[in-house]
Formats: sequence, structure tokens, C-alpha cells
Amino acid sequence: MPPKSNKAGRILGRVAREHFVGRGEALRELVALAAPAAPPRSVLLLAAPHAGASELLRQTYDELFAQRGGASPVYFDFTRKDRTASAAARRFLHTFLAQAIAHRRHDPALVPAAPPLRALLDLASPSDYEWVEGLVESFERAQGEGDERSLVRVCFGAPRLAAARGARTLVLLDDVHAAEHLGGEVELGPELAQAAAQAGVPFALAGLRRRLLDLLNGAAALAGPDSTRTIHLSALRDADARALLEHLARERGVALNDETRDLAVQQLGGSPAFISALVGAASAARSSLESFRDFQKLYVDELMGGAIHRRFSAVLEEAAPSPALRRGLLRVLHESATNVGGKSPVEVWLKRLGLDALELERLMRALHAHELASFQATYVEATPGPVWSDFLRASYRLQVSVEPRALVVADTLVEALKRAPRTMARHYRRESALRLGDLLRRFDFQRVPASLLHYDRYARLYRGVPADEVAAGLEAETDLVRLPQIVHSASCAWFHPPVAQVCDEERCAVAHGFDTAAYADSGEVVWVAAEVESKLEAGRALTEVWLDRLAQVAAACGFERVRLWLVAPEGFSADASELLHERGAFGSSRRQLELLAARLGAGVAPEAANEFAMEIPMGEDTELIAAHTVEQIARRMEFEPEAINQIKTALVEACINATEHSLSTERKIYNRFRVEDDKLVITVSSRGLSAPGYVSDNGASFVENHNGHESGEGLRGRRGWGLKVIRTLMDDVEFERVDDGTRLRMTKYLRK
Amino acid sequence: MPEPAAPPVSPGGVEVAVVYAGDYVNKLSGQRIERECLLRLESGCRGLVINFRGTELVNSIGVSILLGVIEAAEERGTRVVFSHLSRHTVKLFDLLGLTRHVFLAETDEAALATRGEFAAAPPQGH
Repeated sequence: MPPKSNKAGRILGRVAREHFVGRGEALRELVALAAPAAPPRSVLLLAAPHAGASELLRQTYDELFAQRGGASPVYFDFTRKDRTASAAARRFLHTFLAQAIAHRRHDPALVPAAPPLRALLDLASPSDYEWVEGLVESFERAQGEGDERSLVRVCFGAPRLAAARGARTLVLLDDVHAAEHLGGEVELGPELAQAAAQAGVPFALAGLRRRLLDLLNGAAALAGPDSTRTIHLSALRDADARALLEHLARERGVALNDETRDLAVQQLGGSPAFISALVGAASAARSSLESFRDFQKLYVDELMGGAIHRRFSAVLEEAAPSPALRRGLLRVLHESATNVGGKSPVEVWLKRLGLDALELERLMRALHAHELASFQATYVEATPGPVWSDFLRASYRLQVSVEPRALVVADTLVEALKRAPRTMARHYRRESALRLGDLLRRFDFQRVPASLLHYDRYARLYRGVPADEVAAGLEAETDLVRLPQIVHSASCAWFHPPVAQVCDEERCAVAHGFDTAAYADSGEVVWVAAEVESKLEAGRALTEVWLDRLAQVAAACGFERVRLWLVAPEGFSADASELLHERGAFGSSRRQLELLAARLGAGVAPEAANEFAMEIPMGEDTELIAAHTVEQIARRMEFEPEAINQIKTALVEACINATEHSLSTERKIYNRFRVEDDKLVITVSSRGLSAPGYVSDNGASFVENHNGHESGEGLRGRRGWGLKVIRTLMDDVEFERVDDGTRLRMTKYLRK
Repeated sequence: MPEPAAPPVSPGGVEVAVVYAGDYVNKLSGQRIERECLLRLESGCRGLVINFRGTELVNSIGVSILLGVIEAAEERGTRVVFSHLSRHTVKLFDLLGLTRHVFLAETDEAALATRGEFAAAPPQGH
């Protein structure tokens, strides 16, 4: 559950609280730092580039500002614009005082206004006056002495001094990695770590995950099991990214359809920054996101000159300030990216860029921090990823090959459009993968029925047998296999890249472990597992190909004791099973895998689709078509005939209500039928107006007040029974909040 | 599609019309039933049988129109009998209060057998 929303509204947040998705847990954790009784812990927020760490801190700030009684939030972001550590320190002190006083006075207007220090002194409440004055005087004294280190310590020591006088703060430091670019005598990273460790108040330090720890000197000063906590912030999960995109599109009036939304989420890698940039661009161009073409046009514009372009360009400028070096950098990056495996030797980089080792290291540090390339001992690897790769390719062609811009734009757009179906196909395949690696990690010396790893045995005993009998049979089996304890598992492709050419990385796993409790050479074993695609039972030839592939991975990696395991959706033919036995390999069907996962405490989503969706036009008795559809579904679920009639009638009434009350201009009703083990859940929604009884959720009384012919009312007075009928016939009836129109959810439970 | 109304019959000298409801009683078919029934009432029928054989669904708009028919019949002192109702439809009519104002019969014959009720109904209105 998200924390209580900020009633005072946004102060620093750029996204409405209700639209800030996918970071609920991190937000709660940061907000909790400020609780009155919370210990003075610090949090290191290690963020991937463009993952939205800044917005998380700003949302934390807004959330805390609205709360009374806890620590006062202070948000400060480091920027290269400060140029020197002392300038950053001065700005910090100013920000600290302005925000602490703003919170303690409950005056949000002070936050952006940030009056001069002496003016802040006048604004401080009597209880704060003494420590604020002391701080300002210390600052002025240190500034007068010209001792930079002393000045930095006075400024970043402000939270400690304030806390000692009863003014507790939570300091949220953003973009801490930028502090390493600030000039001057003082190295800010260790100073910050020191200040956080000694402040006696909670600190949150956020920055790029590849730089933050190094910058803070390994956070040694912060170290301590109870005093520091680390939060990792990566790209949004798909569902959260979809929700964010929908929210932003709605907020900015950009039309969006589901297909384009899903493509955007995949192509932009769930990055909140890129998603926000795209929607912003659509809004500015008054364009919609209702087709792949709409999206890709905006995407290419963003790559060539929009916010995405500026983000990458800024990093390249930071890494290679001179235009000539930047062009050289684009060339070597592009060449690395187009090499097999995306790698190129360090010598090539040194030679092409004309840099010495130290200069190259500095350049690589910037690229590495922003995750655009990795620097290993002897080679450089360009980071894969569609957005960065597209930017790199387009920039290379424009700036290095000096191709006409129109040609580059056209080619990039055409390529992006051609790639879109592949992007979605990849997404669907990834989602449907069985995630063998996750399952392997759960083995942990557990004993399972051998029939779950030998398809022929499973088929002989259980194929076509009711589920409860299968469960009882497995329970009674005495031939058990003791699984190893897996200590590490990862995709085969990470061990042996050529595998990626024949198999998605999620569908093939290498798992290192031990099959004896003692971690000894003799017990060491490597399981190599793969999902085999086959609509029928996998035949011998296909099985042989896959066994050979996995054996090749094992040989290439030098694995000694190896166990091969193949999983085919429908299992294996008799001769394929024979081959598996001959090679000492395991073979399971998807069903076996589900049963195994259940025993190991890991769920594998059932393959069968459990939701039906139907869109019908309003009018012309189309509700009858929906009723006949739900009848078929209810029959399959083995509802009693009377219950089926009730469901049909309720659905008809819901459709009629949607037709009569919505004034929908699109004249469509969206029906969804979700089949669950014990119930059928029907959702009927339409855009347009909400009927009065619907929005207030008091339909029953609305209906009952209008029930009658007995009062002698005419035809009109006999209407409005729909909701009463629905409530009577269904077990649960609920209205879900939607921005536009009405969504009614009705549930009927199976009673067997 | 609803079947056309059967020609009036005269059990015990009381003219009774049988009107078929059809498979789905909604606004359109309800209005068709209403028109048939009003025509019969205008022509002097003293009994109306609405036959629900094969009726799969009745929606609330259809119910409201049926109530209008019942009202119109009551004003003329004419009794209405519903026949061949499925159990589900009976429950729906119960829920919405229709069954308090009509006779229910399993078949048309049983409906016509209630001719005493038709005859006993006092004429009202015109």
C-alpha cells in the first residue's frame, strides 16, 4: 500500500503522487527514516541511470513535508554547475536552512524562494533562532578564513548541529555521483560519508549505482550493520511502467492504445525518464500514441533532438569534452557495438582516441557510471539496449559518417518500425518462459518423486489421470530423487554466448551446486537445463539436438560433473525418452514442471488463459451475444443451469445500464470474463457518464425507491431495476473507480 | 422472433387471446407484446395469456413493459395469465413483483382453464 498521500500537494515532486508508481516500497522506507522514534540510519540509494531516483527523493520530500512531528525533510541535488566543492557546500547550507525552516514553519513557499541566509535568520522561529544564528555565524567565519575544508565541514555539519539543538532533519542528497566532478581542495565524497555517519540524523544518499560507493570511499564511514541500508533502484517492472505511461498520457491529454503502450514500455526498457520524455514529446507535438508509427516517429524525434538525445549527449560531453574526441568516441563505441559480442580491445581505443591510459580510464569511468559501456582489463564492451544503441547508431551516422540527416531519420524510423514486432515477440516469449533458473535455485536438497523428472514414467502413471489422483500418486511414490543445492544459476548464454543464437536466454539455465551437504569437490555438480519448443511430444531427433547443445555448453565451460535436463511442453516421445535414459538426462513436460514447482514452493503460472474479453457495440440486442458467450464460459466451469441463467440475466442488465446511462460517444461496452477456480468474475465497462446509482454505489436504495407500478407511476417509474436484479442474482457486485465512465464487477461463485 | 398472437379463443364464452413472448423479452419484443395485447383488449378480449414458451431471457425493460400491459388490462377488468414460464423467469418476476398481479399457469390449457377468473374479473374503465 502506498503511503498516505500528501494533502499539501506537490512541492518538489514532478509527478502527481497517485501517478508515482512502482516505488512504493522504497518510498515507504525513505519516509520511515523520518519517523520520530526512528534510529538515525542512512540509506544508500544505488540507482540505474534514468531509473527515477530523483523523483523518488522528491516524492519522499513532499510526503514528509505534509507530515508533522517527524524529521524535517531537506532535499539537495549535486550538480556540476557548482564547479567547486565549496560552492556546492554553500548552496547546501542555504538549502538546508531554507527547507528546515520552511518545514518547521509549515510554509512551503519558502522552499523555492530560498531567501538569503540573514533573511532566513529572521524567519526562524524563536526556538530555532539560536542554532540558525550559530550556523550562519560559523559559516561566515569559515568563509572569512578562506579555509575550504573548514567551510565544507561547517556546511555539511549543519544537520548535526541542528539535531543537537532539537531540530531533527532527514537529508536527501541526490546525484551524489556529480560531486566527484567538483573542483577544489576538498574531495567531497568522503566528506559526505563522514557527515552522514556523524550527523546523528538520517541521511539518504542517492546516485548512479556504479559510482556511488566508490565516491563515498566504499561508504566505509557509513559502514555498520544497523546504521546503513542499501536500496537498489532499477527500471520499472512492466506493469508499473504501463501504469506510469497511462497516467502520464491521461494527464497530458495524449491518446494511447494498449498495443502502443506495451511496445513503448518494452522499447524504452521501463525507464521512467524515457517514458516521461516520450509522453512529453507527444503532448508538445499534439500527437497521439495510438499506433506503432505514431510512437516510432516520436521516438526517432526524441533520439535525434529531444530529451533522450540531450541525456545521452550530456554524458558523452562529460566523458569527451572536445568535439574531436567526442567524434572519436562515437566511432569506437559504434564499432564496439557492431562487433560480435559488442567488445573491442583496449589497445584499439587507446590508438583510435589518441589517449594515454589515465585519460582513457577517466573517459571510461564516465561511460561506465552511466552504463553506456563496461571497461574490463583488456577490452571495452558497449552496453546493449535499444535506446542507447539507436542513439549511438544515429549519432555515428550524423557526426562521423556525415550522412544527410533526412536519410538517417528515415532509416532510423524504418528500422524502428521493422523491429517493433520483434520487440513484442521477444517480450511475449520472455513472459511465457518457465524460468528454469528460478526453479533450480529452489532445489535445496529437497527430495521429489522421480516421475517428475522422467517423462516416460510420468506418462505411464499419470497421463489422463484426474489431478487429485495424480497428487495422491505422487505423494505415495517411494522412488525419490534428491535434488542438489544450487548456489548459483544464470542463463546458458552468459556462460556460452553462442547458445543465444538458438535459444532465448530465459529458456536455458546453468546452475552450479552440490549434491552433498559438504561443499567438496566430489559433491560439485552443474545442472544444465533448457526448454525445448515442440507442439507435440518432442521426438528423438529434436531431443538429441538439444542434448548435444547442452553437452557442448558443458564442455566449452569445462564443467565436470554435469546433469542435463530438458523440458518440453508436451513431454517426450518413447524413443526420445529412451535417448534421455541413455544419456543419463532428465526430461519433463510442462505439467511435470508445474507439479515440481508446486512441491518446491515455486508457482509456475498455469498455461491456460483464464480471461476472456469481448467488446460489443451498444444497442441492437448485442447484450444477448455477450450473454450467450458467458453462458458457454459458465457451462465450461460447470455452473448449475439456474446459476447460468442468473449470470446471463445480470450481464444483460449490466449491458443495458451501460447503454442507457453512459451517453457514450464511442457506443461500446467492454466485457471481461475471468475464470478462477471457484468463481467467475465479470467486468462490464463503458466510457461516458456514470449513472447516479453507480457512482454512489447505493444502487439498491436507488432502485427500491423506484420500484413501482404500485404507486401508479407510468412506464418511466418502473425502470431502474437493473442494479437490483444484478445484486440479487450475483454474489458480489462492486463498482470500480474509473476516470471516465463506469466499470461494474460482478462475481458468481461456483457451488459444487 | 416472437410468434404472432393466436386467434382469440372463447372458453366459457369469455374471449381470451394468447400472445407469444418470444425468446428474448426486451424493449423491442416487449413493445410488440404490448401492442398485441392492447389490440386484443381494444377488441374486447376479457382474458390475456402471455406464453413464455422458449423464452430464454427477460430483461428489466421487458419487465417494465409487461407491467404496463398488466396495468392496462387491470384498468379494463381483464386478467392476465403468464404461461410456460421457466423457473428462472418466475424467480425474476417474483423479484420484481410481477407475480402478484398475474396468474401463472404451466400451459395454455391450464391458463384457459382459469376462465372462471377471466369471467369473474369486474370490468373497469370503458
